[in-house]
Amino acid sequence: MLTLPRWATDCLKRADPALAASLQRSQSAPSLPPFGGRGWGGGPHAPNAQADPLPIPPPEEGEGDPSAGSAPDYRPFVLWEKQKGAMRLVAADAAASAFGLAPGQSLSDARAMVPDLEAREIDRLYLEQVFADFADWHSNASPIVSVLTHEEAYGDLCLDITGASHLFGGEAAMLEQLTTRLRALGYTVNGAVASTVGAAWAVARLLPGRIIAPGDESKALQAMPVSALRLEQTQIEGLNQLGLKRIGQLYERDRKSLQARFGLSFLLRLDQALGWVEERLDPRLPIAEWYAEHRFAEPIGLIDDVLMCTHDLAVQLAARLEREGVGAQGFHLFLYRVDHKVMTLSVNASRATRDAHHIGRLFAYRAERLGAEYDAGFGVDMIRLAAGSISPLIATQTGAFGLDDGAQGLDHLYDRMTSRLGPLAVVRSKPVNSYIPERAMKLEPVVAATPDDPVASMPVAVPRPMRLLPHPEPITVIAEVPDAPPASMTWRRVNYRFVKASGPERLGDEWHHAGSKLQLTVGSAEAAQADDTQELYFEEGRTTRDYYVVEDDGGRRFWLFRLGLFGIAAEPRWFLQGFFS
Amino acid sequence: MMGKAQTLETLKQQVAALETQPLLEDTESYAAPAGLLATPRGCVHEVFADSLANAGSALGFALAQARRMLEPGRPGLIVLQLKSDAQEIGLPYGLGLKSFGLDTAAIVLIRTDTIVELLWALEEAIACRAVGAVVADIAYPHKELDFTASRRLALRSAASGGSVFLVRYGRHREAGAAKYRWRVAPSLSASPPFDDRAPGPPRWRITLEKGSLDVRRRTAAAGEEYLVDWTENGLVLADDTNSRDRAVVLPAYPALSDADPAALGDRLSEAG
Repeated sequence: MLTLPRWATDCLKRADPALAASLQRSQSAPSLPPFGGRGWGGGPHAPNAQADPLPIPPPEEGEGDPSAGSAPDYRPFVLWEKQKGAMRLVAADAAASAFGLAPGQSLSDARAMVPDLEAREIDRLYLEQVFADFADWHSNASPIVSVLTHEEAYGDLCLDITGASHLFGGEAAMLEQLTTRLRALGYTVNGAVASTVGAAWAVARLLPGRIIAPGDESKALQAMPVSALRLEQTQIEGLNQLGLKRIGQLYERDRKSLQARFGLSFLLRLDQALGWVEERLDPRLPIAEWYAEHRFAEPIGLIDDVLMCTHDLAVQLAARLEREGVGAQGFHLFLYRVDHKVMTLSVNASRATRDAHHIGRLFAYRAERLGAEYDAGFGVDMIRLAAGSISPLIATQTGAFGLDDGAQGLDHLYDRMTSRLGPLAVVRSKPVNSYIPERAMKLEPVVAATPDDPVASMPVAVPRPMRLLPHPEPITVIAEVPDAPPASMTWRRVNYRFVKASGPERLGDEWHHAGSKLQLTVGSAEAAQADDTQELYFEEGRTTRDYYVVEDDGGRRFWLFRLGLFGIAAEPRWFLQGFFS
Repeated sequence: MMGKAQTLETLKQQVAALETQPLLEDTESYAAPAGLLATPRGCVHEVFADSLANAGSALGFALAQARRMLEPGRPGLIVLQLKSDAQEIGLPYGLGLKSFGLDTAAIVLIRTDTIVELLWALEEAIACRAVGAVVADIAYPHKELDFTASRRLALRSAASGGSVFLVRYGRHREAGAAKYRWRVAPSLSASPPFDDRAPGPPRWRITLEKGSLDVRRRTAAAGEEYLVDWTENGLVLADDTNSRDRAVVLPAYPALSDADPAALGDRLSEAG
């Protein structure tokens, strides 16, 4: 469990160098303000905790913060939010706390207390998003990383380190490693290890740095205030009114009366903290069962190095997949950057595979498409290759007399093209159950093929052009009599005289699309604005189309249609939609 | 050692040159008009149409040829087009391809943003041994699509045995390493039975501008002109008498513009 009580301010300071610079006082100019005090206040219940005379050690000031105690050498920074019409503080950094500012105070009071206060309005959405990225990065330590959101949507990070701590040299070493690294980056962070989420949460806040052995939860929590149980504010106030201030006082109480007074959620929190009820974490990233990873002693930056390592990982992963007789269709590459960001690259295969060479090539092509978007920052210190969409893949023997139908070669080719050009560039046309020509076929990515719709099939005998213009182009047409086939047209300023024509093929509106807009616009945006068909809705008679196949005196065959019937539509218009071979 | 390597290389080139010639069985398994079609596999073809308005017939002819290149071990047919060209010359339309006689499930359309990506995809596709034919539909000339690019394509297709059809537009001819260059123009179609005023099956006037289909010059040599119909049985030589007695006079077949003749590379490709 890691808790970052000052995430909001720390994160803004790190993200915005201008802000950090403006906070520095002129007389001293350290490159980065020395954060990292092991303060533990900052939560909404901090005043309560301070009010309790408990044998819990007071916040250790001054250990990692040389400036604590004296006036800090940077301007205090707070975040405020409008609550019920008043501007109240919601987060304060270490310097502001040193001046006695705490969340809940009104901004005007705070300004009066500290004249050179730097205050900003809080942007919770932004903080949440950044914290989510930050949480994802921690999946390099443990596969299950979850953000606890019952208090704030950011700030509390829970890692399930079961079976992962030995990789770091034990639980204590792991905790030390994680927190030290964050402190070095300028975050205020507290951590603790316990066998339940609730206990870890409480210990991380009140006794940071401790490791609670399994079974010791009740002893560790005994002296803590009830606010350490992740309760609601009303429940804490009610318990305090009854004189139940410490968790230890609750152990021997009659559970039925407690439940009657404070609800089931209270008992649930208590039981979760003590490990009597199982609590599940909600992992942020899907847990990859199949993965291979590589940690570097020194961060690497070049994409070529990354790809070389990816190929090695693919070989390892392929060996594991082969041993189990399975193949995968999705491959995800996670690049853990030194500065707590994760870059993800994904490639998909159209059939399950475990061919390391193929996987490596797909990532190489995917990286080519990335181009300038690839940014390793200060370097990548860990790479993980995970496989998804696992399905059984039986090993086949290649024999001299086997017939190669080329299907596998083609699938590999489409995979490579998709990874280089993007999934929407490699498509196949597929029938859709519609008579409207532009809807009757859709383009479907080859790697994400879906089964065919059995209903969607047009009779082949109906003449359809070999090429279809994505947007029909308006033309001027001369017809001898209103309902006769056209005699000539002007398209793109060239006149075409028709000698043969067949039709009309009348296509009515699809009643189930009545009310939806027609989309007959010519490519560019200006043309789309100029085109008044934009506001045309499907309507009986007005938007009925009469299609004609016409052949001009040079033998070119076009597919034209008239929008609207004579007599019903005010002025029928003509469009060119396709070319026959 | 050097001498041996050189001999080996010369022999390889000779074999490659032999392999790109039409096989006897290929020419004989098709009847006379199909002699036109008996192009060998593993070549680059350029299919030119005079203007963008003729785009339908150019693609039709290229696909008609490409369909012949497919076989059980080589089922892939890939059509490439720039995204920006779709509104200029139209997207290949699934239902139209189906009525043309192609299996739309087997055709993959690749739509790229740039000509460089298109050429990359073209080379990648033709290097795959499961691909029978690749049709690249390029509306406008690009400076990246030069002699070097087509020479690369020629080498790749000779190595893998797949065929490339570069469908291009305009009267200007550039130097290219394509083994064959066709010029396709639509022609007034024959009437279908019972309806004089309706358009019939597609009819194209095809000129073989470069290359020769038969070493013995029996079927088609450069400069020969054909009038063919596309029917459900494939290409059929059109009966010209049918259209001659019509009142409509065929427009004069426009001569090539006085653009510079593409002298360089005209015969180069035949070295294999």
